[in-house]
Amino acid sequence: MSAPVKRTQWDEDPTLFRKDHGLSKKVLLNCCLVRWIISWASPNKKDSVEDELELSAVRHRPEALELLEAQTRFSRKELQILYRGFKNECPSGVVNEDTFKEIYAQFFPQGDASTYAHFLFNAFDTDHNGSVSFEDFVMGLSILLRGTVQEKLNWAFNLYDINKDGYITKEEMLDIIKSIYDMMGKCTYPILKEETPRQHVEIFFQKMDKNRDGVVTIDEFIDCCQNDENIMRSMQLFENVI
Amino acid sequence: MAAGVAAWLPFARAAAIGWMPVASAPMPPPPREKRRGQDGLIILNVSGTRFQTWRNTLERYPDTLLGSTERDFFFHEETNEYFFDRDPDIFRHILNFYRTGKLHYPRHECISAYDEELAFFGIIPEIIGDCCYEEYKDRRRENAERIQDDEENENSKDMVLPEMSFRETMWRAFENPHTSTMALVFYYVTGFFIAVSVMANVVETVPCGSGPNRAKEVSCGERYALAFFCLDTACVMIFTVEYLLRLIAAPSRYKFVKSVMSIIDVVAIMPYYIGLVMTDNEDVSGAFVTLRVFRVFRIFKFSRHSAGLRILGYTLKSCASELGFLLFSLTMAIIIFATVMFYAEKGSSASKFTSIPAAFWYTIVTMTTLGYGDMVPKTIIGKVFGSICSLSGVLVIALPVPVIVSNFSRIYHQSQRAEKRRAQKKTRLARIRATKSGGANAYLQYKRNGMLAEAEEEASKQAGQALVCKSNPTFETQHHHLLHCLEKTTNHEFVDEQTYETSCMEVSLSKPSMSRSSSLSSSPHGLSSCCTRRNKRKSFNVPNSNMVAGRRGSIQELSTIQIRERPMSNSRSSLNAKFEETVPLNSEDQSYITAAVISMPTPPMTTPEGENSASSPDFLQSNIVRVSAL
Repeated sequence: MSAPVKRTQWDEDPTLFRKDHGLSKKVLLNCCLVRWIISWASPNKKDSVEDELELSAVRHRPEALELLEAQTRFSRKELQILYRGFKNECPSGVVNEDTFKEIYAQFFPQGDASTYAHFLFNAFDTDHNGSVSFEDFVMGLSILLRGTVQEKLNWAFNLYDINKDGYITKEEMLDIIKSIYDMMGKCTYPILKEETPRQHVEIFFQKMDKNRDGVVTIDEFIDCCQNDENIMRSMQLFENVI
Repeated sequence: MAAGVAAWLPFARAAAIGWMPVASAPMPPPPREKRRGQDGLIILNVSGTRFQTWRNTLERYPDTLLGSTERDFFFHEETNEYFFDRDPDIFRHILNFYRTGKLHYPRHECISAYDEELAFFGIIPEIIGDCCYEEYKDRRRENAERIQDDEENENSKDMVLPEMSFRETMWRAFENPHTSTMALVFYYVTGFFIAVSVMANVVETVPCGSGPNRAKEVSCGERYALAFFCLDTACVMIFTVEYLLRLIAAPSRYKFVKSVMSIIDVVAIMPYYIGLVMTDNEDVSGAFVTLRVFRVFRIFKFSRHSAGLRILGYTLKSCASELGFLLFSLTMAIIIFATVMFYAEKGSSASKFTSIPAAFWYTIVTMTTLGYGDMVPKTIIGKVFGSICSLSGVLVIALPVPVIVSNFSRIYHQSQRAEKRRAQKKTRLARIRATKSGGANAYLQYKRNGMLAEAEEEASKQAGQALVCKSNPTFETQHHHLLHCLEKTTNHEFVDEQTYETSCMEVSLSKPSMSRSSSLSSSPHGLSSCCTRRNKRKSFNVPNSNMVAGRRGSIQELSTIQIRERPMSNSRSSLNAKFEETVPLNSEDQSYITAAVISMPTPPMTTPEGENSASSPDFLQSNIVRVSAL
């Protein structure tokens, strides 16, 4: 199968084009001025044409089945089932963030799942190109469903670490916890109070932050989780989802 | 929820691992997976056309023929496929519904054939996707009207039922002249006399040449006064008789008197009678003359005879806002230009523009491009503004007029369609809201009987009841487990809106904690037996017992809720569910019962079983198809 066509190539081309065009400063200025005038006269035409071009060009074909089989821990049949479902929902082969949020929101009708879906999207989109392809999807699932406990905890840490700097700060944790509580919606018992997420974060940090430096590192996190029975047990919960 | 999204459930469940490290409480155990590895291809032979699909695709909707064991009745052993003797073209859409979760309506298909196929395969038409729903409803309504018309025609073709009173026959004759010969004759006679009367009014004023002894010309009315008077009398006689007859025959006299047509009738005949009364009084004869003007309104009596006239009147009425706006803008322009012209022409001598109201006439004549020429500006500045006035007149008047004309036809059709769409929109919004709440309520229901379902299932199997097996952990159960995990993570529970509002009220009223004893009243009726056994299980305590309203109030709530959630049609599950009062209903069935259940106050622990079984059929009646809940 041919190599997947990634969106980054399209992003690069316009800049290249622009660089070649600037011969002299004067020409460059004139060109920009003319373009600015044209764009001001017909404001949205250019963008929409470009947008349309981009949308139609994004059609992603995944790697070969054998390759994916080797890279993930799913069997051939499982990959087939996964891809069929994936392709059904996203015929173009990639999920962008909005579609992702929509899909995830369908499972939590009572609350607002968009923030958590945003974090999830960033966790799945490992190469940070703004879309989740089938490979990203299946890699993520492979870790979550068939990975070792270490890998799962790693993945969870990666999810919580929003800016991917290797530390979970209280603010990051607060964002995550708030997004989880958002998914509950407002009709809950007991009624959700303002300080509940904050309290939850405090509890978490008390448990996890061993050296009390205000951040949780990956080692502290994994250490602490491995010593917690409940967490260990719940990690095994979704083994047989597929 | 679209069936396609079901494919993402494994992903959503896997992503739930992200909650584990921050969970406040231990997670619930996952539902037991059953019948794994049975995903195979099914061949569906529909009148020779073979369709193939995965077994799982069909089983997404266990409520339909293809998704349940009912399809086994159609299994054909020799060819190892399922054979259906139905229309393959329509079946294509039905199968697409399983695949995509959306049911489409093909426009070229006959509506009744389509309805029959849907009914055969157990699919409720209400789940047709929004893209095709309007079209479907339109066609359905046309079909219903056609059937109704046919029935009416048949009924009217029969001879008049002898039970109809004389009054009703008369009214019917007046409204539908073609029902009997007498009515037709009467119809034509009145029409003739209306025409005659109008013509007489017109001819009356024509000069008829000078009389033998007179110098000047007289009108025909004065020359042949007697003849015209006799003609007028005859016409008015007929009209009066007709009016009185209609008044007698009208089913609702008050409504009849208020109607437009009767007012026109009265206005048409009153001048004659007033004239009769006032002939000798010279002073008011001037007023009497003006009354004769009203005789011309007899022409409007023709609108009973002409449908087109009625339509015109109706469209004028519906265009009233546009006409009003035209009038308003015209008035604005007239006032502006009249003022300008007056002040411009003030200086010139012998100017006809004596005042602003006098200038109105000039402005109107100029703007409508009539230009009589009786008033013309003389100063240069007057002429300049005069020309601006005539140019703008063209714009102000010539532009809106075609718009209004096209509005006539557009508005007429559109108002009919807009009504339809508005009605459909309400139901569509209600459906969307119901789906959303249905999903949430289904989960709450699951919470109450989810754990019990497995135990009950075993019990029923031991009891040897051969029922339609619906308690396999499908998409629904897995989804509910996921929501349960979320609850455990945050240590808060999902509740429905009512309970939330009550607890809000509680918090504001700062009532003490709820009574545990009435937690039993929250149990669904179908599970009365198991719930009495398990009333120790407090973890599913939903505090709906804290209804502020009294018992009577709650019953009232119950009835209103039931009425509000009248089903559109009986789903398969509701039919089956009638038998299964002691077996746990699948959470899907009770997606709408939940709201009703909560507000029902059962006498705590005294006779739960007796009451419950008695009232459960009522609840089961109010089921709405749960297919849309997914």
